Amino acid sequence: MTARPNCHEADSVLLLTTVLLLAVGLVMVFSASFVVAAESMGDPYYFLKRQALWTAIGLVGLFIFSKINYLVLKRFSLFILFLNFILLGLVFTPLGTALGTEAQRWLVLGPVVLQPSEFSKLAFIIFTSAYMSSRSLNVRHTWTATILPLAIAFVAFLLIQIQPDMGTALVVLAGAFLVVFCAGVPVFKAACLSLISIPPVAWLTLQEEYRVQRLFTFFDPWADPTGSGYQIIQSLYALGPGHIFGSGLGQGRQKLFYLPEPHNDFIFAVIGEELGFIGAVTIILLYLLMIWRGYQIAAKAPNLFSSLLATGITFIFGLQTLINIGVVTASVPVTGINLPLISAGGSSVFFTLISIGILLNISRYTREESSLMGRAS
Amino acid sequence: MPGFAVSRSMVKKRILFIFVMTLLFSLYLIGRLAWIQIVRADELYDQAWKQWNHNIIVQTGRGAIYDQHGRLLAGSTDVQTVVAIPQQIEDPGVVAGALAPILNMNEQEIAELVTLDRSAVYIKRKVDPEITEAVREMNLPGIVFFNEEKRYYPGSNLASQLLGFVGMDQGWSGLEFYYEQYLSGSEGRLLYPADALGRQLPHNYFGNFLPKQSCNLYLAIDESIQHIVEKELERVVAEAAPRQALAIAVDPYSGAVLAAAARPDYDPLHYDEFDPERWNLAPFTSSFEPGSTFKLVTLAAVLEEGLFDPEELHYCPGYAIVGGHRINCWTVERGGCGTITFQQSLGTSCNTAYIVLGQRLGAQKLAEYIEAFGYGKTTGIDYPGEGSGLVFRETMLGPLELATTAFGQGISVTPVQQAMAVSAMINGGYLYQPYLVNEIRGKEGETIFKRKPELVRQVISAETSEKLIELMETVILDGTGKTAALEGYRAAGKTGTAEKLDEEHLYSSDSFIYSFVGFAPVDDPRVVLYVAVDGITLGPRYGSATSAPLFKRIMEDTLNYLQVTPTALTMTKEELN
Repeated sequence: MTARPNCHEADSVLLLTTVLLLAVGLVMVFSASFVVAAESMGDPYYFLKRQALWTAIGLVGLFIFSKINYLVLKRFSLFILFLNFILLGLVFTPLGTALGTEAQRWLVLGPVVLQPSEFSKLAFIIFTSAYMSSRSLNVRHTWTATILPLAIAFVAFLLIQIQPDMGTALVVLAGAFLVVFCAGVPVFKAACLSLISIPPVAWLTLQEEYRVQRLFTFFDPWADPTGSGYQIIQSLYALGPGHIFGSGLGQGRQKLFYLPEPHNDFIFAVIGEELGFIGAVTIILLYLLMIWRGYQIAAKAPNLFSSLLATGITFIFGLQTLINIGVVTASVPVTGINLPLISAGGSSVFFTLISIGILLNISRYTREESSLMGRAS
Repeated sequence: MPGFAVSRSMVKKRILFIFVMTLLFSLYLIGRLAWIQIVRADELYDQAWKQWNHNIIVQTGRGAIYDQHGRLLAGSTDVQTVVAIPQQIEDPGVVAGALAPILNMNEQEIAELVTLDRSAVYIKRKVDPEITEAVREMNLPGIVFFNEEKRYYPGSNLASQLLGFVGMDQGWSGLEFYYEQYLSGSEGRLLYPADALGRQLPHNYFGNFLPKQSCNLYLAIDESIQHIVEKELERVVAEAAPRQALAIAVDPYSGAVLAAAARPDYDPLHYDEFDPERWNLAPFTSSFEPGSTFKLVTLAAVLEEGLFDPEELHYCPGYAIVGGHRINCWTVERGGCGTITFQQSLGTSCNTAYIVLGQRLGAQKLAEYIEAFGYGKTTGIDYPGEGSGLVFRETMLGPLELATTAFGQGISVTPVQQAMAVSAMINGGYLYQPYLVNEIRGKEGETIFKRKPELVRQVISAETSEKLIELMETVILDGTGKTAALEGYRAAGKTGTAEKLDEEHLYSSDSFIYSFVGFAPVDDPRVVLYVAVDGITLGPRYGSATSAPLFKRIMEDTLNYLQVTPTALTMTKEELN
């Protein structure tokens, strides 16, 4: 394919699973949204059309990035970081919008509505991976090498959490932290850093009363069934009646204005209701397959940068998946994290597909002898 | 190791660590899913079901009451109730201040209501539409309206005691009370699947639980006859200002009550402004001394027992001595009835003649007939609080009691008992159970209950009945009941004058109950009518001037209304001779 040595076919399992989840996503977005869309947009296909369009654009992005050598990203990593801050800053200018919600999260750039925080997730993985793989760095001996990328990530965290979007902000921070961790920071340092970062993050979290409520609600949603417990209860009312085999595609009742964001943050509840336990577990297994492939690529990556990049990408992908399903199953407190590849959301699917494109590109340079479970070389 | 500043194996270990963590958390999530979707599935389904299916309270509407021709006597109309949702009320003071003058309520009271810790409170129930409209226009947050229904009576006071009235939620008196379980449907609950905005879904997933429908009553009462009766009672009230006036008209061949009323009455929509005594329908609930109308019972008994010879002579000196007591005839002041035949004794209403007849019967027989005619116990009419009256049992009938009972003194009976007993006397001897409700129908018009006249027993023979009719006609043709004679119809009956016991259970000298019981036409009785006027305070004080004319006017109008063909002329004394 290319002239480069060691270059081979991209990971077809990863690609196939991605396409499969995208297809499930389109079907479920339509099923979950057609009533809401008909009601609020006057067009039952509104969210399906948008999602299909962004999926198409995202697939083009995936293709392009699977062709661009990942090393290009390392070269542009500072620029990407810079662009990320520009975009995050622009959200607070007149270009930013709340899209009718209470959070200032979006940028209107001509016909495109962009959510810069979705870009941040990828941007920080790229930047931190690039930084941590710098040849001159000795992470085992200098604090600066460890703290600097995290400090920069913390700035992004602050910018995103005041939108407010605590969930995404935490994912960005966690992604950067994980890359730093996997780059070989001693466990003692990593533990210190996490201990240091907990108080400010916790303090910021508890600044907003609704977040405190969500925390308490998580323990007992029925304490306030119409208020802070509402979302969780509605989610359980979708999953429970779904039972083992589900009510059937399109037959769910909870998307009828009971579930908040049925096509977005709570789409997994719709899946659980309509496709049942079997369907929900199948989706989880598909995600696990993707995550497995991602970490496999990371383990077999040709160098530290690509390894960290693949790890980071896979980690934020998995983290979002698990948090989203965790929220829906009342296993973690409510945060506004969507389900990658399935939830409706243009920026999310676009940047997720690009990051998978990067993974695919890395997979073309993997070395078979150093697979994750295999003997270390 | 090219490209790696740190050991590749360490990076791999950490990646593996992260993957294992991911795997463990995924397993936990799958466990959670199994817990929610399998273990707790049924419980969550039940809870979700409640939220998916909305309840509408379906008010089937209180059943209506119609007369025998389907004319509406009591119906319901929609009204609104003002309800507050305390949570939504921002300033209780302002709300109370705004509502108080319109709803004619105390400001303090409203302020307390709207601050109660409840999801909703009634401010004022069943308010007139103009008032709710005024409240609605104020657009107060937290003040909403509820549809309810309110009873209305097209005839206003007409038959108010018979129909009864409805309190806030149920019938409290009369037929409204007696037939409460039919008139009020069970609270209707309609279950329908809905989305979170409460809108009904097109699919009918679970079906509906239908409420019990209320029923409509169709009475034996004829609104027109009821109207005639009440109109004439009003006239008596205007002319004689009695303490009470009452009337009951029945069909002698079935026991159907065609009309029943008493004055004073009350307005069912403002029942609380009247003395509760007025809520009762006196013809059913009150018992008092029958007086001479009761002579018919003694007469029926001696006729049936063959102890009566119409041509036999009787001398009445104006009194009789029984067991050492002197008992007066009403004619005592003019020296008694003199020598009369027993046939004439009914017309003149001679007490001493009936003492003799009673003594011939003896205590046992008289008591038997009294019981057989239905006296001394309730008739079983479908009306709450029926009276039973009080008569002597055989063992208590000493010589004195036997004598007084024979002409109607010292006992008490109810007007409905009188009407039914007289019906039995003239219909061939059959005592029927009186009734008010002919038929109960469901909302779709289906018959739920249909009355069949209930024969209690045959008391006397058809022959005795015929003889009684003849004798009763003489009362009107040539006796105390002349003023009851009808224009164009032959009528028969019996007058009665009873003394009333005052508070000390003594006969008061100035309070009499004038009654008349009779029927018409004589050859084909259509209506038995009992009227009584108690405690006249204006004008002439005797039965021939009050109760007999009252009978006459009601009966004439009723027969005209029933389109009974008049016999050419009223028979006069000359024609009879």
